[in-house]
Amino acid sequence: MAEHTGKLGRHLIDFDIKFRRNRQINAIYHALRLIFPLILVGTLADFINQTWLQRSGYYYQTLHVAKWAFQLKILRQYLGLVSAGTLGLTAILITFAVSVYLVAPVTPLIVDRLMAGIVAIIALKSLNVNRQSVLGNHPVQWLSNNLGLSGIFVGVLVGLLVGNGYRWLLNHQHATQRRLEQNVGGIALWLLVLTGLGFVWVSTQTVSLNAALLAISRWPFQLPHDLGTLLGFGLLTGTCQWLGILGPIASVGGQSIEAAQNLAAVLDHTGWQIPHPVTLHTVVDVYATSGGPGMVLALLLAIFLVRRNVRQRRMGWYCLIPTLGNFNAPLLIGLPVIFSPILLLPFLLAPLACITLSWGCLVLHWVPAVAYPLANGTPGILQAYLGTGGSGAALLLSVVELVLSTAIYYPFVKWAGIAEEAVSHEPTIS
Amino acid sequence: MNRRFRSVIFIGLLLLLLCVPGFLWRPQQRASVEEAYRSQMAPVFLVPGSSATQDRFNDLVSGINQKTPHQHSLLRVEVMMDGTLKYTGSIRANDTQPIVVVGFENHHDGYATIKKQAKWFTIAFKALQKTYHFNHFSAMGHSNGGLVLTMFLEDDLAGTKAHADRLLTIASPFNLEEFDQNVDTPLFKQLSAGRKQLPKELTVYSIAGSEGYSGDGIVPFDSVNRGKLIFQGQVKHFTQMTVTGANANHADLPENQQIITLIRQDLLASHGSLHGQ
Repeated sequence: MAEHTGKLGRHLIDFDIKFRRNRQINAIYHALRLIFPLILVGTLADFINQTWLQRSGYYYQTLHVAKWAFQLKILRQYLGLVSAGTLGLTAILITFAVSVYLVAPVTPLIVDRLMAGIVAIIALKSLNVNRQSVLGNHPVQWLSNNLGLSGIFVGVLVGLLVGNGYRWLLNHQHATQRRLEQNVGGIALWLLVLTGLGFVWVSTQTVSLNAALLAISRWPFQLPHDLGTLLGFGLLTGTCQWLGILGPIASVGGQSIEAAQNLAAVLDHTGWQIPHPVTLHTVVDVYATSGGPGMVLALLLAIFLVRRNVRQRRMGWYCLIPTLGNFNAPLLIGLPVIFSPILLLPFLLAPLACITLSWGCLVLHWVPAVAYPLANGTPGILQAYLGTGGSGAALLLSVVELVLSTAIYYPFVKWAGIAEEAVSHEPTIS
Repeated sequence: MNRRFRSVIFIGLLLLLLCVPGFLWRPQQRASVEEAYRSQMAPVFLVPGSSATQDRFNDLVSGINQKTPHQHSLLRVEVMMDGTLKYTGSIRANDTQPIVVVGFENHHDGYATIKKQAKWFTIAFKALQKTYHFNHFSAMGHSNGGLVLTMFLEDDLAGTKAHADRLLTIASPFNLEEFDQNVDTPLFKQLSAGRKQLPKELTVYSIAGSEGYSGDGIVPFDSVNRGKLIFQGQVKHFTQMTVTGANANHADLPENQQIITLIRQDLLASHGSLHGQ
């Protein structure tokens, strides 16, 4: 490894290797890798549904899908089911996998490993019940709306809690019992404790754990739109995504009052006079989300430019189609970017650089602000162009920002590849 | 080195390929955006029947405002015989669903007047559209007011480029006061002939009042019933309802509690600024 990595690079690689060797992190990485195929299939289904089959989709509008496609409705329903069955259950899958991977090294018994995962699912679900149905002694209603991509963080937390507890139980069994049969009493006790925790949460809190986290991550929408707010929002969104709170946090811009007023101003008058040129929508949604939040399209390009790690490249090919349509979940989970200390930096820095640059260009009137609604799945570099009704300057700015972000990602992707190779040459889980 | 750039160039080309439909579609973009665009404001036009003025619905509006969380501001417009407009009341800033009552200086009964009123309504509509920049609306007409609105929708709506969301007619006599079911009045013939021009996205509710066997005391039931011959198959939804009980005679219908409920439910509720939601 004679390559020049620089001082910062060496530090980051060392830290990343230590981080990945940590038992907890190791389990999370394995879990993310395990669920990747499901996420990929679900995202592809979602991508086709959103961009080709729905009225608000880019291909639906530009290729006039309604005129030539048949059985649109059935296709939408089918793909909706596919993505609900995969993406919609992400939190459950991840909590199961994290718990199993934590317990696996301490027991050869398959039943113990699986039971650790099952208990984790039960614990997660006991946080996701309808409060009224529990407290009112009615038949319990399970909630499923917080189990999607935005639930990865909570899924990981519950998986860690349950897996570590189970591991502790296994490590403190009597020697005679150990490795022979299932510890029924231990399981029952641990299950009751966990459900008790869920019950305490449900009976004292009016919101689910996940909804509480999402509410915190949405607060910047009430703030006025200056550069500080925009950067703060970029930072917060990036951090949330890195922690595994994926999903529709950033993309509310199209419906805000400012966006409606901008559109009305453009349609009612000739010329391009925009009352609110600087908003989250006109800056962050348009310029800092090529390939999805975090400028992930730039990450994809960086992977192929670096070309050192075979796994990274394979992941890049898998995630190519969704990333080109701004669906970033597969790459964030597959690489993973989530919980990766090296990739956190460019994942935050690239959007911040784009936000600052776009803000400057908007304030200096070098590019017009976006007013037309953005279709889902519009290729990243085309969002500004179409949103401004065809401004060449906006298109140029998007391309420049993509190149800039790729340059920001480049060294970090290289270092992440080195760190991964260093770790994957060691034996991990028996 | 060469292979490294090959995959990047491939991705770049793929990205460019995906952009092609966008570039090709862009010339149609404005038309497509305009088509899907709905202004935040969607006024509700109320048109009174013959021998009633723009003050006809004052009680109705205050009744509606007492029961809805959203306070609708009220603007009254009187169209004079020479086409000039007189305004009373006002539209509150940020009111996305104001109520606009359009009355006419000449409010006599009869086919000839109704035709003129439809044109006068168009004048008022265009003037308000110019001021408030709305591009969709709902409307309610009592008695002949429903005929005026139907005529406007058939003949002049296309020229305004606005979209009609809902229409509620209360005891509107689509065959005037003709009691003989076998006679088609010239008014009915005109409305029936123009029915193809009715907006396809419109939802229509037609309410009939009922007192006794044949009508609401003034308008024969068959005349109201003929609304379906005009609207069915032309608009998105057409629902016909009959209201009986207290206040079911022709003149009292706008104060009928059931009808006020219907207005709140069907005309004012579930109003969205975005089309198709």
